[in-house]
Order: sequence, then C-alpha cells, then structure tokens
Amino acid sequence: MTIPAADEALTAAEQSDGAAVDATTETDAERALRFERDALVYLDQLYGAALRMTRNPSDAEDLVQDTYVKAFASFHQFTPGTNLKAWLYRILTNSFINTYRKKQRQPQTSGGDQIEDWQLARAEAHTSDGLRSAEMDALDRMPDSAVTQAMNDLSPDFRLAVYLADVEGFSYKEIAEIMGTPIGTVMSRLNRGRNQLRTALSDFARENGLNRRGGDDDES
Amino acid sequence: MTSPECAIALERLYQFLDHELDDADADAIRAHLDACEPCLDAYGVEEHIRTLVRRCCTASKAPDALRVRVTQVTTMTVVVRQTPAG
Repeated sequence: MTIPAADEALTAAEQSDGAAVDATTETDAERALRFERDALVYLDQLYGAALRMTRNPSDAEDLVQDTYVKAFASFHQFTPGTNLKAWLYRILTNSFINTYRKKQRQPQTSGGDQIEDWQLARAEAHTSDGLRSAEMDALDRMPDSAVTQAMNDLSPDFRLAVYLADVEGFSYKEIAEIMGTPIGTVMSRLNRGRNQLRTALSDFARENGLNRRGGDDDES
Repeated sequence: MTSPECAIALERLYQFLDHELDDADADAIRAHLDACEPCLDAYGVEEHIRTLVRRCCTASKAPDALRVRVTQVTTMTVVVRQTPAG
C-alpha cells in the first residue's frame, strides 16, 4: 500500500501511535490517509470474520465493503489511539445483524442466554459423551472441512463468539462490546458454541471411523 | 471423577483457556490440571479443538477485487465541508 507524500500529516501521528492525532484539526485528507493507514490493515481479518458470519464469499465481500464505508463515514467519531480493531468488528457485526442476517434463514437459537444456562451447559458437557482423551487421535485426523462445517452449523451468535475468541483472540469484554451484549451472554455463547462444536466433531469422528487407534488399520 | 475440585476446574476451563482468570484462580486451575489426569485430558481436548478452529478459519485472504473496492472507499468519498484557505 503506497502512502502519498503528505509526510507532515503522517509523521506526527506515527510518532505518537495515533494517540496525539488531533481529530478536530485534522483535515479530511489527513483523516482519509489515517483511515487508509490504520483501518485497511484489518481487511483480511474482517473478510475472514465476514465469511464465517455469512458463510458465502459474495455476501462476505458486500458485508466488508459496507463495513468500510460505514467505518469511514464515522471515522471522525473514532477516538484515535483506542481499540480500532474492536471498533471495526463492532461495525461489521452490526452490519451483519441489520442487513444480512435478516435476509438469511437462520436456525432459531433456543433462547436462554442467561448465566444459569451456561453453567448448566458446562456441567452437561463433562458428563456427556464428548471427545475424551482416548480419542485425541481423532482430533489429529480431523479434516479441515469437518471443522469448517461444524462451525457453519452453529447458530450465528455462537459461531461469531467462538470465532472472535478462538481466531481473533478478543477478550470477553471486547467480544461483549463487539456483539453488544453483557459479558455473561458472551460466556454463555462461547460455552454452548464450543460444546456444540465438540459434539459435532465427536459425531463426525464416530461416523467416519476416526476413532481407531494406531496407524496400522485393517483398511484395504 | 467429579470431585468438587474437578467440578470447579471444569466449570472454569473455558475461562482458563481464554486467559480470563486472575492469576490466583489460574494458578489453582493449573495446579489441579497437574494433579488430575481426566481434567488435564479435558483441557487438552478443548485446546486441540481451538487449534483446529484457528487453522480452518484463518486462511482467508480478501479477494483482490474486494481490496480494490475497499481501497477506493476513501478516494471515492470526498467530503467537502469548508472552502480551502486562501
């Protein structure tokens, strides 16, 4: 990405990590440059997240495009030096919920994002027949396609929570901000999403004979 | 298998995995995992699944056409709010 030669505007911002950028005296051109410099770096990641949300590349592209348009339009409201990545993800998530999710047929989530539910789910999980230590081999043999499918089969809220935590490494607090929910709800969604993932992978392993131990099977 | 310690460890497993516990609580879980094979296995499974999710979900690069469109967001959106200084 080439930056045009407006060195003066960039130097001050760069030296202070953007925190000393005075958004009130910044010109529109400077803000545009700052946006290009700071926000575009997240394009691949936002696309990856959009792909998870929409589950098809064409919608994902539109969603990302929408996100950047909205982000740029409100970039003057973004406080320089604060968490730009989370801010962009928030816009992406809102766009998805408001535009695309309404269009897509989604499986109904079974409500109950209460904290009690996630504690229950936690207790259920480890008394259920999920993957146990003896089947770690199965996880080693798990094809990417099975994992992708398992993720895609999750309800959008669970899928997004798991994606934000596991792939992007956002904290519970950040995920709560991005998804616009209390932290307890985030934990509930993570719990249930991960439990469903584990069950799905366990089912796949069983149905596809991944649980056989050792390498010398009697496979022809 | 589910002693009270196990129950607590399993209940906090995800928070532990997500680095959301304070040091004291995290240390307690760590100590329990050291001492409890079944709970350590449970942790191993969760950690492995997380690795799988990362691996299958991280590969996406934005298509070039999208990159071009997005790069144009700033150049195609011209905001004129004031006349240039003379």
